[in-house]
Amino acid sequence: MSTNLTDRQLLKELRLRLEEGKKSQKEITDLTLDLQSVSKKFKDSEALKSHFISNISNEIVNPFTSILGLSKAILSVEKQDWKKVVSMVALIHSEAFNLDFQLKNIFVAAKIEAGEIAPNIAKVNIRSLLQTVVDSFNIISRKMGISFDIQFNIEHGFGKNFYFKTDSEKLKLILSNLINNALKYSYKDSKVVVSVWLDDEDVLKIGVQDFGTGITEKNQKTIFERFKRLDTGINSINRGHGLGLSITKALLDVLSGNIEIDSKKGEGSTFTISVPEAKNIVDGFSGDGNDIFFDDEDEIF
Amino acid sequence: MTQYLQHFLYPSSLFVSKEPYLVKTILGSCVAICLWDSRLRIGGINHYMLPTWNGNDLASPKYGNVATDKLIDRLVFHGSRIQDLQAKIFGGGEMMESNTKTLIGERNIRLARIILEERGIPIVASSTGGKRGRKIIFFTDTGEVRHKLLEKKTL
Repeated sequence: MSTNLTDRQLLKELRLRLEEGKKSQKEITDLTLDLQSVSKKFKDSEALKSHFISNISNEIVNPFTSILGLSKAILSVEKQDWKKVVSMVALIHSEAFNLDFQLKNIFVAAKIEAGEIAPNIAKVNIRSLLQTVVDSFNIISRKMGISFDIQFNIEHGFGKNFYFKTDSEKLKLILSNLINNALKYSYKDSKVVVSVWLDDEDVLKIGVQDFGTGITEKNQKTIFERFKRLDTGINSINRGHGLGLSITKALLDVLSGNIEIDSKKGEGSTFTISVPEAKNIVDGFSGDGNDIFFDDEDEIF
Repeated sequence: MTQYLQHFLYPSSLFVSKEPYLVKTILGSCVAICLWDSRLRIGGINHYMLPTWNGNDLASPKYGNVATDKLIDRLVFHGSRIQDLQAKIFGGGEMMESNTKTLIGERNIRLARIILEERGIPIVASSTGGKRGRKIIFFTDTGEVRHKLLEKKTL
């Protein structure tokens, strides 16, 4: 190293260092900005979470209050007024159904966040699964004057049955959430179309279409965020906890599937899920866990 | 070997047990951190897909920072002390050529090293990076990990 720098060299060196200094400063600024945006997100999310907790207590307390009140009313109905009981029981059912559905969602969300979720694969009769889910919403949809149009476009196997290896409970909850949303954002006296088909690669596709409020392009980006709710539900007086779609997405992850939205404000929305058939063998391990797992080539750490 | 209970660890999940378990998992660009408590001789393992939580999805162990914090918390819940924990990390391969830009594997590995250093947990063994997938079996009572690189194919 020479210590005798010419003025020119010195100037060059100084300029270089200055530029480097500027560069690292810019990097630091960028990083700080990144950090700020992350910490803002955390704060937002925490705010949403506390909002969620106050929301959810209403969601649990209100149905219970109705159920308790209604059943008390039934107990004091005079025998000749038995017809009143039918409508009260219908109300109890819809409150209890909703409560059960919300609780299922909350427990699944808790399980996902705890990392305790795993696929439970079996051969599933897709047609009957879909029918079960749709039927469970019958009382609610009838009350709203909404009809279901099921378009099952798979011809397979014996009769009308189509079996597909997947996780039935998870698929059920995914469909329930999509149908629940479709009803929630539909106008009275309209319909919800549920279509089922296989694509060219035998991936199961299920589309749930409503003709309700629709979602703006801007909002389409945010609806999958946890606790996020759009305040445009027509039939809901602030029903829901904003977990439905986050859960749907996380469950689809478990099934190696995905979801797409197609929506226009004012015209309705279509949510389409894609679910590939589960493999019996998880690369390298058989599903039943009884394979030979020791191998001479194993390295030991 | 028959006394071991078995668990297959899926991506985005984590597993901790006081009972001796052997936990199997398959890794591509995902990373698994095996934590072992030398005092209690218990262990736990996670399997995350992406480095940091984006603040939007459910705060699940799909994300390295969530997965690692939760794994440590779970072990502490079972009576572990941080100073008795040691880590072995695996995975983080760049499986697809198209992924070279995003470097998910690389970022997953880096996150593991950063968080573990922050928490003062030493990494006593690792097999990370490269272009191949891995199959590992973790013994929660001894902390031993059996490891095998998989043939090059898409996971």
